[in-house]
Amino acid sequence: MDEHELIARVRAGEPAAERALYDAHVDRVYRLAYRLAGDDELARDFTQETFIRAFDRLDTFRGDARFSTWLHAIATSVALNGLRRTKRFRSQTTLEAADGVATSARSAEPDLKVRLHAAIDALPTRYRTVVVMHDVEGYTHEEIAASLGVEVGTSKAQLSRARAKLRESLADFAGEWAS
Amino acid sequence: MTDDRFEERLREMGRDYHRPPETPREEMWAAIVAGRRRRAEPRVSVLRPAWRWGLGMAAVLLLGIAIGRWLRPHQTVPTGGLATTATDVPYQVAATQYLNSTETLLAGFRADARSGHVDTLFVAQAHELLSSTRLLLQSPAGRDPRLKPLLEDLELVLAQIALLPGGRDTEDVNLITQGMDQQSVLTRLRTAIPAGPASAPRTQGAL
Repeated sequence: MDEHELIARVRAGEPAAERALYDAHVDRVYRLAYRLAGDDELARDFTQETFIRAFDRLDTFRGDARFSTWLHAIATSVALNGLRRTKRFRSQTTLEAADGVATSARSAEPDLKVRLHAAIDALPTRYRTVVVMHDVEGYTHEEIAASLGVEVGTSKAQLSRARAKLRESLADFAGEWAS
Repeated sequence: MTDDRFEERLREMGRDYHRPPETPREEMWAAIVAGRRRRAEPRVSVLRPAWRWGLGMAAVLLLGIAIGRWLRPHQTVPTGGLATTATDVPYQVAATQYLNSTETLLAGFRADARSGHVDTLFVAQAHELLSSTRLLLQSPAGRDPRLKPLLEDLELVLAQIALLPGGRDTEDVNLITQGMDQQSVLTRLRTAIPAGPASAPRTQGAL
């Protein structure tokens, strides 16, 4: 059964079709949510909210773009808004503690992978999102642009700036990059 | 170092960045079905007691602010201490109700935190009280030098509870209760609540 037919059956209220549509897309949505959140509880919340909204708003899906593109636009919106709220809460309570951990990890942990992950964490949200989607999860710039509601050129520019910032953060590992 | 080499290493090592576990698809599907069913219920049943309670309190505060603004040109604005003029009576009533409700919530939250399971109802109530806190902070009650720091601390604690992910994160819950203890929030809150049976006599005739 192709996706158009599946969506038509979901619109007709078939529970089995809803489950089939969910099964077809849940892995990618959950993976992205987890990569962005770094937390299983949050990733589950974001994924669930994404599908709840998608099913509720399926009538607004016109079929101009692929369903996965439309679904990922919802997923990134849910995840980024959710992370903004969580970040505001956490930044008020754990900022000093987190700073201490980051500093000690930098001086005591020479492992490049650890440093890279910390540097990705430290990127501004818009840059981190593009790095995660493109370099970690393998989305194309077209998919990223459609999900984030930006131009393809913007996605490329943000990835370029994000990589430049990462390279700058990891400057003392330049030898390892070259090796 | 070339760009290609850097990007290659970035992609290699990025694979382990927040590496997701296996998708918990059955659990999430059950939550989605339950969530959709809940949202499809008629709105009247969605308005749970916690929401009605919060909306009622916000209404009292707004009414207090309206009365206060109406009376303000005819009254002297107090420069400090607890509100005592006719202008501030509505705020005092609203503040007392708010403090009582917040004390009940935080005491319950602490008790739940000790048992290791925080009821999600507290999260919804904290969300409601948060709006009331902001309204109070912007009212004459928020200019009371004894009340303002307490309201600001309560706003932070309520925001933390309201943003708990599903109310189940033990580490976050512990951070909140530690913060409450360090700031002696509950003690200060109880001290600020006027003695007497939940401010009922003060309410009568004030609004």
